[in-house]
Amino acid sequence: MLGPLLNSENKERVLIFLLARGEGYATEIARFFDTDLFGIQNQLDKLEAGGILVSKKVGRTRLYALNPRYAFMDELKSLLEKAMSFYPEKLRDKLIMNRRRPIMRDKP
Amino acid sequence: MKPVAKMVRAELAAYIQSQLRAKGIEAVLTGGSAVSIFSGEKYVSMDLDFVIMGYPKRPKIRDAMQEIGFHQVGRHFKHPETLWMVEFPGGPLSVGKQPVAKIDTLEYETGTLLIISPADCIKDRLAAFYYWDDRQALAQAIMVVQENRINLSEIAEWSQEEGKLAEFKKIEPLLKVVKTSE
Repeated sequence: MLGPLLNSENKERVLIFLLARGEGYATEIARFFDTDLFGIQNQLDKLEAGGILVSKKVGRTRLYALNPRYAFMDELKSLLEKAMSFYPEKLRDKLIMNRRRPIMRDKP
Repeated sequence: MKPVAKMVRAELAAYIQSQLRAKGIEAVLTGGSAVSIFSGEKYVSMDLDFVIMGYPKRPKIRDAMQEIGFHQVGRHFKHPETLWMVEFPGGPLSVGKQPVAKIDTLEYETGTLLIISPADCIKDRLAAFYYWDDRQALAQAIMVVQENRINLSEIAEWSQEEGKLAEFKKIEPLLKVVKTSE
């Protein structure tokens, strides 16, 4: 959808995923969109270098999020939200409706 | 010219900027090193962060840095004679979501240094505190306030535009504490 504008479908996937979920890691994003990890990691690196994303280590995983200090973040979010409203409902729900509440370790 | 090993932080930053300027690349010092300079080195950053004005190609920056002995290691540039590492974070030059309005100019034996103003340096640190609850960044903002003449109403206005006036009100007393030691 924003692929031609962003010059990369993976860049759109990364941004949309982080907008919807708040944070995410490379494997999770690649799995969600059923795409290759290298392409996603490459875009995460570029977006972080450009100041659009920030990351932190949680255990052995590097978690990424949109950078609230990026000068155009409000405008970028508006654009991404509009793009997401054009996504198929099923995909939109899958992006947003993920479990966020805690789950005990032994719970099946 | 003074050798790199003998340069203090601001001199090295001015030297690097002069080299870049000679190649048509304008850069502004920001981040932790601005805090170090404006706090009289009470906070010691090991990074020199330059935001590039305009859109020069990365190889042009790399070549200019290599000419003065800095070699790229990942996202950083290192020099064998100094521990400070140089980075060029993505622009634009902003404090929070607003553009930097004023750039200060400081003159050194090694060249002219363009640096964000002390007020913008404080806003930059407060943005880290507001958005990430980073207490170290708040402490750095206080150090800069204590070493410079700062119009706190400007900081309050900026905080309001960021939607963080309530947060500013909570920390305002800390920014008004007058330094008593030394």
